[in-house]
Amino acid sequence: MISLLGLDDAYHAPWFIALIALFALSLVLCSLRRLALFVKEKKTIVLPEEDRLLKMDLHSYIPEKDFSETLGLLARRYRLALGDGQGAVLEKGRLSRYGVFIIHASIIIILAGGLIGLLFGYRGFVTLKVGETKDRLTLRGKSPAEVPLGFALTCKDFKVNFYPTGEPKDFVSSVEIVENGKAVLGKEIRVNEPLSYKGIRFYQSHYGSAPVFFFNVGGEKVALMEREAFRKNSLLLMVARYESRVHDFGPGVLVAYLDGGEPKATWFLKNVDRLREQDLQGVRVSLNDIQEQPYTGLEASRDPGVFVVWTGFVFILFGLYVNFFVRHRRIYLLKVPGGLLVAGKALRNRGDLDKEFKNLLEEIHGHTP
Amino acid sequence: MAIHHKILGVATLLYLLVFFLHILYFSLKKEKALSAIWITLYGTICIHTLGLVLRWIESYRMDIGHVPLANFYESLIFFAWSVTFMLIVMRKKIPYPVITMCASLASLFLMGYASISPSVDRSIQPLIPALQSNWLHIHVITCFVAYAAFVISFVCGLLYFVEWKGVVPPKEVLDNINYRSVIIGFPMLSAGILTGAVWAHYAWGSYWSWDPKETWSLITWIIYALFLHARLVSGWREKRIALISIIGFMSVIFTYFGVNFILSGLHTYAT
Repeated sequence: MISLLGLDDAYHAPWFIALIALFALSLVLCSLRRLALFVKEKKTIVLPEEDRLLKMDLHSYIPEKDFSETLGLLARRYRLALGDGQGAVLEKGRLSRYGVFIIHASIIIILAGGLIGLLFGYRGFVTLKVGETKDRLTLRGKSPAEVPLGFALTCKDFKVNFYPTGEPKDFVSSVEIVENGKAVLGKEIRVNEPLSYKGIRFYQSHYGSAPVFFFNVGGEKVALMEREAFRKNSLLLMVARYESRVHDFGPGVLVAYLDGGEPKATWFLKNVDRLREQDLQGVRVSLNDIQEQPYTGLEASRDPGVFVVWTGFVFILFGLYVNFFVRHRRIYLLKVPGGLLVAGKALRNRGDLDKEFKNLLEEIHGHTP
Repeated sequence: MAIHHKILGVATLLYLLVFFLHILYFSLKKEKALSAIWITLYGTICIHTLGLVLRWIESYRMDIGHVPLANFYESLIFFAWSVTFMLIVMRKKIPYPVITMCASLASLFLMGYASISPSVDRSIQPLIPALQSNWLHIHVITCFVAYAAFVISFVCGLLYFVEWKGVVPPKEVLDNINYRSVIIGFPMLSAGILTGAVWAHYAWGSYWSWDPKETWSLITWIIYALFLHARLVSGWREKRIALISIIGFMSVIFTYFGVNFILSGLHTYAT
């Protein structure tokens, strides 16, 4: 039941993704409706009558000032939205009205970036022993699968540096990218310093050591790790299990092989002469040595949606700033008998418009052509 | 005991002093007590900053130099600092001593918890590889400034339900301050989540892993987004808004403390 509903992996379950899609759809619709409202509102800017202007918190009569001269002064600081010979509407910070739209659009962009990553990206890992080269990565998921990288990755060296207190300070994998048999790029991968090549990023994730088994199979020297298979002519063998102590006989490995399609297994014991060398399917196999070798665990991922997500991030922060901290304000200028009437109104993010308006009036009063 | 511990101890005592000065103000109602509160608060943040800087210097002396924003103790100290910082930033908007009193009580609690609780490791620890990034600073700072703004919003939300004439400001004023602190906290929390995502991309290979801390910060973000929508779109005011701000802060607390103690995840070094 739990796995049917996807509760073990809820964030990738179809119902969860459907919920997010529904959320995105409602965002799109809400944003479009708002945008339409704003555009409509912009078209209907009107210059109010004198009595309406007088009802605004900020208004003032200015006697004996020239209309067009004052308008010129105001137009230096505000954008002219509407004007004829009798009056004018000026405004600033109209962008603030689009803040909401920018924020919601950014969320859709971020979700789209996430979807791109989900559809066209993958996550996996590569474990490399020092000196080992691999050209494929293992995907993470319920059924492990391998994906070819399109190039090969060699681990030249792996180091762990420690603080004097004994805690790890640094994990460093020195790797080389090999393409068509040629080394094209060398880099040290550290935590927080991934390697990016052809859209695939490699991250230092973990490290450890694992036993490596050195076999001689029919005259050929091979090094195998646990669960690793090897084929020589008709013989297919795999190291099935490792025991550091098999009873009192020391270390040994259980080797599985196919005998006429029938799976069979036999123990190789390093310290017992009779069991160190055996004939499997007519091929002479001997276990020469077992060594602990360090390996580095690299997280590998491909996500073509990342830059879309980053774009969304930049826009959402910009949108939040614009929405909450840019003031949309209008200044009204009207010709009245004996002078001018100036009024101001904050349509969004009221705040210190009082101060701004006061400064503006002082400027108009003090202005002499 | 290292010098930075002593300095931070002095800062803790100063927060206590700030509290007593508020009590004094409420009993005497003298303007002088009010200016004494603010002078002490400015002094406190100076001492507090000094303590942080000395701890920073000390870490370099120990050869494991890093900003003091790396473990639970340091985050508590920085949280307290951020609350005081937010009070100073919003000083003009909150000329009500009862709000500064509650907020500095929060700082006092954080400082006290940091220095007394036996479960908090107060030593300077070396920075583990995952934390060695410049994103650490910006991520932690934005998150805690957001948390601090939400502390003020929470205080306003709580005070809304307290009837105490002459001490608690009028309800519409609380409502307004609540909104003002959320419009600082919400963009900051967004920035904190986003910088965290960018950092996670470089450190863990994925900008979003549904780590408990990430999930809970998203839940918190959604609650404050609902706060803003309720207020700006549906025109909710006062009581219901106060309730949302209280719920939002519960979520902040769970994101900060609860996730560390109850759920394990990629952020476990913060415990």
